[in-house]
Amino acid sequence: MTVATTWKQKLAGQMREDWAREIDIFETQIELRKKGKVEEKLFAETRLRRGTYGQRYDNGQRHDGEKTQTLAFPSGELTKGPVTMWDAPGMQRIKIPYGKLTADQLDTLSELAEEYSDQILHITTRQDIQLHFIHIEDTPDLMRRLAAVGITTREACGNTVRNVTACPYAGVCNTESFDVIPYANALTFFLLGHPDTQDFGRKFKVAFSGCKDEPCGLTNFHDAGAIARTRTVNGEVKRGFEFYVGGGLGAVPYPATLFDEFLPEEELLPITQAVCRVFARLGERENRARARLKFVVKKLGIEEFKRLVLEERGKLRPDERWVSFLSDLHVTDEKPLKPGSELVPGRYPDGFDAWRRTNVQPQSQKGYSTAKVTLPLGDFTPAQGRLMAELARRYTGDSMRATVEQNLLFRWVSNADLPAFYGELAQAGLGMAGADHITDVTSCPGTDTCKLGISSSRGLATELHKQLTVIAEQLDPAAQGLHIKCSGCSNSCGQHHVADMGFLGVSRNMNGRRVPHFQLVIGGQYKNNAGSYGLAIGAIPSKHVPKAVKTLTDRFVAEKLAGETFQAFVARIGKKEIRKLVDQLSVIPSYEQDPSFYSDWGDPREYTIGDLGVGECAGEVVPLVQVGLANSERELFEAQLLLDDGNSDNAAARAFSAMVLAAQALTREKNSFLGEGVDEIVSEFRTHYYDTKLFFDPFAGGKFAHYFFRAYEHRSEAGASKEGAHQLIEEAQLFVEAAHQCYTRIAGALP
Amino acid sequence: MLSERLQLKLYLEPSQHFEVEALIPVFHRFIREQLIRELLIDVVDYSHVPNGPGVVLIGHGADFYLGALDGAYGLVYSRKRGGPGPEARLEDALRRLIDAARLLEQDPTVQLRFKSGELSLRLTDRLHAPNDDATFAGVKAEVEALFGRIYGGEIAVERLAASGKEPLSLRVRASGSPALEALLEKLGGPPSVAS
Repeated sequence: MTVATTWKQKLAGQMREDWAREIDIFETQIELRKKGKVEEKLFAETRLRRGTYGQRYDNGQRHDGEKTQTLAFPSGELTKGPVTMWDAPGMQRIKIPYGKLTADQLDTLSELAEEYSDQILHITTRQDIQLHFIHIEDTPDLMRRLAAVGITTREACGNTVRNVTACPYAGVCNTESFDVIPYANALTFFLLGHPDTQDFGRKFKVAFSGCKDEPCGLTNFHDAGAIARTRTVNGEVKRGFEFYVGGGLGAVPYPATLFDEFLPEEELLPITQAVCRVFARLGERENRARARLKFVVKKLGIEEFKRLVLEERGKLRPDERWVSFLSDLHVTDEKPLKPGSELVPGRYPDGFDAWRRTNVQPQSQKGYSTAKVTLPLGDFTPAQGRLMAELARRYTGDSMRATVEQNLLFRWVSNADLPAFYGELAQAGLGMAGADHITDVTSCPGTDTCKLGISSSRGLATELHKQLTVIAEQLDPAAQGLHIKCSGCSNSCGQHHVADMGFLGVSRNMNGRRVPHFQLVIGGQYKNNAGSYGLAIGAIPSKHVPKAVKTLTDRFVAEKLAGETFQAFVARIGKKEIRKLVDQLSVIPSYEQDPSFYSDWGDPREYTIGDLGVGECAGEVVPLVQVGLANSERELFEAQLLLDDGNSDNAAARAFSAMVLAAQALTREKNSFLGEGVDEIVSEFRTHYYDTKLFFDPFAGGKFAHYFFRAYEHRSEAGASKEGAHQLIEEAQLFVEAAHQCYTRIAGALP
Repeated sequence: MLSERLQLKLYLEPSQHFEVEALIPVFHRFIREQLIRELLIDVVDYSHVPNGPGVVLIGHGADFYLGALDGAYGLVYSRKRGGPGPEARLEDALRRLIDAARLLEQDPTVQLRFKSGELSLRLTDRLHAPNDDATFAGVKAEVEALFGRIYGGEIAVERLAASGKEPLSLRVRASGSPALEALLEKLGGPPSVAS
């Protein structure tokens, strides 16, 4: 017998042929890139399409708190993309369609984390699994091992159809119209590698939900969102979908727009295909910041967009896959391992009752429950992964779901088994209560590993989790049910817009040093598939955020009316009241009094890294700039209050005014004779900051300046809609943040 | 040792009370002052994960974990890639582990104490080192030879994690608990080059 010396040999015949071939090709491309025979941009796009991302410090530079050090990687100047060193560790995103994992898949994922990563598996906010600190040369074998258990990483990143997500309760939910999983499954594999999805200017995200009112599918912020609906026609129940398009979070969030209130099930695949074709044809190519479908829908208007999609639909060549899956909608059904049963009264393991209250829900099938495993920040170890796989085999029959709240859901737990099931979880450190409650803080990777992170969202989430867990049992039930979500920057991977309290990382210059902050975002709605988005109230120093959470929570508990949600409470007391809290917490001690405020959570390196000299010029100019930027923030806040009062026109005007003030503050440093006229400010700002690229963000380029210029062009248009004013406020927020960043750079405090 | 990937762990004296987060600034200092002869990249905090890797010092060729992945706190040297050939791999890992443990014992902010006579070894390379009897027999002989030479006296090697899904894991016990400095000297002193 020949002993396999490579994974390719060992797994031959165990992978789908086409998947195996794709991985072989990718391995060849790696070799060609090493020999300089593939251009770095092309290689970068290739690896992104296989889910292989860059990570922080992959430019080979890292600031150690005192100075920037060069990471002397052995492959020298070889790169795997622009300014991305070959040897720099990267992240592997692994698509898990609608979050469904089998026990064998979880075993394999655990092995990969153990052998190639840092002993941690991470569940993302879109039901993927991510492994970090992966070397590019390990990825082909990693992909082969995944392919052998039915997982492909194809199109996990890049300008592609990303992981199709769905409610984790689908099929066992008490409020769904029907099980959306067969449809999500069919659409996933129909769009995967489809020729019509290979030429996008940006990514495309799809989500399914079984019902409209619950949050589980979060369809409102997806490029395409499908909510299950039934309609009775001539006495026959027909299935279809309330179908939405053009939603998205990101720097400026857009709610999805209704495309069709009842899209028949047989039209789901062809209409989505037609949407993809229109997106590929009309989506922005040059300006990445405006390339998502939401901008196409916004630009054309939903009626024209729909007309184009239907026209495209009419031209499509018929494809038997559009309807073939409908003949067997039970293909994704799960068979429970055990018969349903009732929970037997008795002495339960310690902690069981609290866990059951928050983590267990009855299924629509009598005698069964779903049980959620709380995974702090979505992280778990390979040993815990193997244990959960084993529990699935022994208790439920092989099926688990990764959730967008970064937990793992077991379905089909026979009720009598709940105490024993919990006992085994608890023994492995997985018995934490509080899933999807206030202690279960969601976070994107932030500055831990993301290249775009500004503040440590994971550090903040960890701290909030620790502090809140201590008091969780004593909290009022209304407070226990609150959702907190953290993002390390404005790109919203932590979904901070749809939390009761959302936080997004920003930085501020204070006392001559750079200080990590988080914008407090209030008023978002998690229910109704993320029904509405919150707005930033103001920036709080990172180290004061736990105090802000506690103060807000305490006040909510003390003053809420019967049955009042946090969102309604905020609307009633007004954002001015919340702003007072932000203002109180915005003051921090001097560096000499307490340097801890000048570093981020979980990272002792000084956040302020520049050796900022206070020369006479800077001594005069810096305060003026700061005053101007503070004025712009105040103006922005006023805009929000006007919006809350239903005064959209004035809100939009104030948002634009905030941008003008920020631009003026910056520009006066270059032109001390700058006046108050808007035309002059815009012109001078363009000359000194845009044309010189001084205002450009290292990653977003001139995007935020474009917001300002566009607002200037449209400033005379009256009749702003609520949605339009909301969007302008978001854009103004980003422009003002960019002005802060620009000021920090020109003041010399950034590397 | 055929397995390129291996994890060698030295356990802390169990009586110690410490917060694992206290290692974060220490590991950052290791990077800043280049105290470890590895290409070090970053520090990651997994202290929120029960029975997790704790605080991780990420390197290019190897990582260091101060955590409790197997339920007991200790320092893990995890070789990921590169390094010396099969004959020198285990000894190189032991040398680098002892060197890092020695530095942690010397750090006044954490004041850790390691049990030098008890280690565990995991071969995280299922292709070249499957968890089977044949692999165990080969590794056991290698471990006994190396540890016998460095520690002296009798060396007990016990196989852990019999399940084929776990990586092959061994517990190694020496008869004594020599000072880390003495062990390092026998291993040739601190490594002089990055792995």
